[in-house]
Amino acid sequence: MAAADSSSATLRRCDLCSRGIRLAGKMRSDVVDLLDTYAEQQGLDASASVAAVEGVPVAAVEHWDEQTGTQRLLENLAAYRAFRALLAQMLEEQQEQLGEADAALSRALAAVLLQVSAFAYHLEELLRLESRGPPSEEGARPPQPPHLGLFERKLRGLGVLRELAQWAIRSARDLRQLAKPSLGSSSAPSLAESP
Amino acid sequence: ESHIQYERVGADVTMKCGSMDWDAAVTWTVNGTDIDESHLNGSYLILKNVDLTQSGQYSCYEGSSWHLKYQTYLRVGTPPKEPVLMCRSNNYPKGFYCSWHLPTPTYIPNSFNISVIHGTREMVCEKDVFPKNRCHIRYLQLFSTVKYKVTLTVTNALGKSSTTLTFDEFTIVKPDPPESVVAKPVPNNPRRLEVSWQNPSSWPDPESFPLKFFLRYRPLILDQWQHVELSDGTSHTITDAYAGKEYIIQVAAKDNDIGTWSDWSVAVHATPWTEEPKHLTTEAQLTETTSASTSSFMPPPTTKICDKGAVVGSGAVAVCWTAGLVLAAYGVLFI
Repeated sequence: MAAADSSSATLRRCDLCSRGIRLAGKMRSDVVDLLDTYAEQQGLDASASVAAVEGVPVAAVEHWDEQTGTQRLLENLAAYRAFRALLAQMLEEQQEQLGEADAALSRALAAVLLQVSAFAYHLEELLRLESRGPPSEEGARPPQPPHLGLFERKLRGLGVLRELAQWAIRSARDLRQLAKPSLGSSSAPSLAESP
Repeated sequence: ESHIQYERVGADVTMKCGSMDWDAAVTWTVNGTDIDESHLNGSYLILKNVDLTQSGQYSCYEGSSWHLKYQTYLRVGTPPKEPVLMCRSNNYPKGFYCSWHLPTPTYIPNSFNISVIHGTREMVCEKDVFPKNRCHIRYLQLFSTVKYKVTLTVTNALGKSSTTLTFDEFTIVKPDPPESVVAKPVPNNPRRLEVSWQNPSSWPDPESFPLKFFLRYRPLILDQWQHVELSDGTSHTITDAYAGKEYIIQVAAKDNDIGTWSDWSVAVHATPWTEEPKHLTTEAQLTETTSASTSSFMPPPTTKICDKGAVVGSGAVAVCWTAGLVLAAYGVLFI
């Protein structure tokens, strides 16, 4: 019975990981398109360096290969919950703008927001499967929108989308690590040393 | 006392004979050969508009005693031009390497200094023993949006030059080509070729960082390639090969999510399976004799003679006509 449950959980985990990888891939593709549209719309250079933006989860990580499965899931979930709030703020600001191009940008933002929400839910499911359960969002206050001028808000938006694109790639990698059959949630994988 | 003296191509060089007075009687030699007095101004050796052939060991001897008073090794060269720098990650996510070269030689020794900056952090680029013009960096962070800035400075005795590359972590990812590409015919299938390959051995973790592949193939007799993109697996069966034609096949690889395609793999050749020629009868002999005089676009016996899918180019029409004539001739024989 225990073996059957474990096998069922493994299959479910594998299935969630595979679907999550596909979700992350689609999300990345849409975020990259949105990034280009956003930069063009806001009159920004999409490749311009943007200083780290306060409140935006940074995808960059050291010792990535040493993380446990649970660490990966928790960091991903925290990030996507934050992006959900950030994108909602951006959408609200964008919807105040007039014009057809602005409406198109709003629709694209809304579509990505939906994917981010879906991915966050997906991560919560994976955490439930780890018998750990996702951390509660109750009591967690959404980040206060900083008082920024128009140009600063545009740059912040660029920073948000750029980090989200990186997160989408990182998430796919994290889920592939999780999907490896030899790993439990608490064990850290290690990359084979190259010859 | 021996020196090394570096001078630019085209420069005018004046060599003093150590502490000898200007009006001292001296003899100058280059690589052991006396230098004509026309190049002397007093005891000074004057070399105008020097070129590369004038590099060598210059010695000055006191006139009467032949004591060596001064010796220098003249090396004629040029200051370095802007170096060519390239950085690439073929072993993502472990790290990346940068390699460089000078567009034109300087003919004198150069030293290279490379700095790698990621945000505010200076990273160590460990120089390879071989080749000497390469160093590698380990990624300390992954998934960073902060760009890397690599500056290479080349210095020699006549000047210096530098170049800078700025790039994202992802843009320089380019795997090595797939390895061990094998293409085999499929028994009893005249239009199939089975192709298999392996991930490049330099790619450290294909399970977590899977590669996708691009396969291209064409018959040797045609210039146009067919292409197939494959998102997983390291094998593919070509099902539309022209029967009996030798094919050339190559494969390239790319990380599933980031970076650029590798170079093409080493090319392999293969010809689809063809049936062994049967024991010849009279009819078969007639067909064989006639067909031997047409073009090489001959379908295998299992294929209909006039099946244009089995033959290529303008030969298809010639074969059909010829076969028709053969059959007509055969028919006449039996009237």
